[in-house]
Amino acid sequence: MRRSVFMAGLAATLLLGMGALGVSQKNFVASAQQKSETTEVKIDNFTFGPAGLTVPVGATVTWTNKDDIPHTVVSTDDPKAFKSKVLDTDEKFSFTFSKAGTYPYFCSIHPKMTGKVIVQ
Amino acid sequence: MHPFDIKAALLAKHAQHVVLIHFPIALFLIGVLFDVLARGAKRSLFAAAAYCNLAAAAIAALPVLVTGILAWQFALEGKRLKGILLQHLVLGCVSTVMIWVVFWIHARSRRNNGEVLPSYRWPIEALAVAIVALTGHLGGFLSGVNVPT
Repeated sequence: MRRSVFMAGLAATLLLGMGALGVSQKNFVASAQQKSETTEVKIDNFTFGPAGLTVPVGATVTWTNKDDIPHTVVSTDDPKAFKSKVLDTDEKFSFTFSKAGTYPYFCSIHPKMTGKVIVQ
Repeated sequence: MHPFDIKAALLAKHAQHVVLIHFPIALFLIGVLFDVLARGAKRSLFAAAAYCNLAAAAIAALPVLVTGILAWQFALEGKRLKGILLQHLVLGCVSTVMIWVVFWIHARSRRNNGEVLPSYRWPIEALAVAIVALTGHLGGFLSGVNVPT
């Protein structure tokens, strides 16, 4: 009897522990997903950093101009998926990618500056 | 953009500023060079060449100033003037004035039946060359020509 009570207690502890582990794991995954939903791209020294980016569908990418020179963020495709105004120093531009695909973009003032967002 | 798309090329947002800017810079530098050669070789043909180049540079500087302001409005959407953009605008205006001052010194001499050019033009021309070069250098950053590799 004492042994079966002990076994039942052990099983319950194990179940609770696994449950807690599952919840924390779920939270971890959720927080990781939340983190990946907003992604920052820095425009610095005439480059987009990171130049290549992979994000999930529904993610929002925010570009921040850290250069002393104005820049833009314009998608290469036609019709243009996104097009920012001219960004002054520390100005930001955000776009939410609602469809999967590859979105190459560039700075329309300095066309040598290019980047790519892959939405999966 | 297709390289032979005339409409897109002519209506580009840079308002041809990045195209026209090369003319006054080249004409002015060559004009000053001919002035130096005219003094060294003491040949009037060089002096005439200097005058013609400086005159052309002065004339070419005016549309460049106008297109520069248009490029700021169209390509940069009239962004707040600060940093390199402000420096480029101020130095561009100073460059235009300097080019016209140098041309005026030469023109006045010619008007007065070939009066000897004053020697005070040398520091003015040297300063003008430095300011024109600095303006072009900053413009290269704005246009992306001076993009770091």
